[in-house]
Amino acid sequence: MNRITRAVKATYNFFAGDMILLVAVALAFGLGGLLAGALHAPALLVGVVLIGLIVGGLVTTLAREVRGRPRN
Amino acid sequence: MTGQLWAVIIASFLASTVEFVEAFTIVLVIGVTINWRSSLAGMGLAVVALAVIVGIFGTALVKFVPIETLRLVVGILLVLFGLKWLKKAILRYAGLKALHDEEAIYEEQVAELKARGEHHQARIDPFGVATSFKSVLLEGLEVAFIVITFGAQANVAGSTSASGRGILLATVGAAAALLLVVGAGALVRAPLQRVPENMLKFVVGIMLTSFGTFWGAEGIAGEDFWWHGDLALPLLVVFYLVVAGLLILWLRPYAPKKAASTAGQMTAQPHGEVAR
Repeated sequence: MNRITRAVKATYNFFAGDMILLVAVALAFGLGGLLAGALHAPALLVGVVLIGLIVGGLVTTLAREVRGRPRN
Repeated sequence: MTGQLWAVIIASFLASTVEFVEAFTIVLVIGVTINWRSSLAGMGLAVVALAVIVGIFGTALVKFVPIETLRLVVGILLVLFGLKWLKKAILRYAGLKALHDEEAIYEEQVAELKARGEHHQARIDPFGVATSFKSVLLEGLEVAFIVITFGAQANVAGSTSASGRGILLATVGAAAALLLVVGAGALVRAPLQRVPENMLKFVVGIMLTSFGTFWGAEGIAGEDFWWHGDLALPLLVVFYLVVAGLLILWLRPYAPKKAASTAGQMTAQPHGEVAR
């Protein structure tokens, strides 16, 4: 069990290493795929959702880094 | 040689150039930022995998390899890798994370090995190998698709001159594209080694995220998803550059004063081949 946990953790660290980024990218491609495949949404909407969620993930993880720090 | 034969070679050359540039960009940046050993190992593995796939499937490749699924998987992984690098580079430029002097660590390690009479060999980095492998495999498959599609089309078109030789001619076009791209890459390699390390990592983060978004979107919505096809790629690069620049400006006021002053020293050390 310990070995499996370690393997999962190593895989997670190798591919993502940041839960916010992982969730944001999964959401971006999941929602994008749903919009494009099942709902046949226009490409512009799919693009905005996809890129918006990717950028949103980056902004959120950076915001977490500065949370509680005073501004100079 | 007839006009149709030239058309097959030129079409294959141009389309393959775009794919080779995409793959080679990633091989180049991984080589410069991580090390050439990892980058070339990934590329070599991808070439072997490609040879096996093409050897097994031959021209039936286009029917059996789900290129859109492959684009989606590679796209997601590149976005994840790209965002990870971009986050670190943004934090460093904003002064929230110390600039990593890997050059100094590398020199120290080499000096230590030399003192012990051992030869230095850059360590194989799994991240570098995987990134290089994925990109070369995906783009290599796309080139194979281009060669087969253009070549088969020339054969089907029934021109007596092209008949049966379509795939060979398309291969000539693709091979010329490969030579051109590798030659251009060899020329830019040396100047790239002198670019500061964090700037390179920042650029790699932008490139991987842009390529990942581009391929991932094609994977979920089809090849004609992007406005003007491959021309959307540089626009994505510019977009992510602007976003990253704005994020650095937003984060700078949060940097501790001492770190903020070092963050401005972007032209610090030239970058060499380092083990991560």
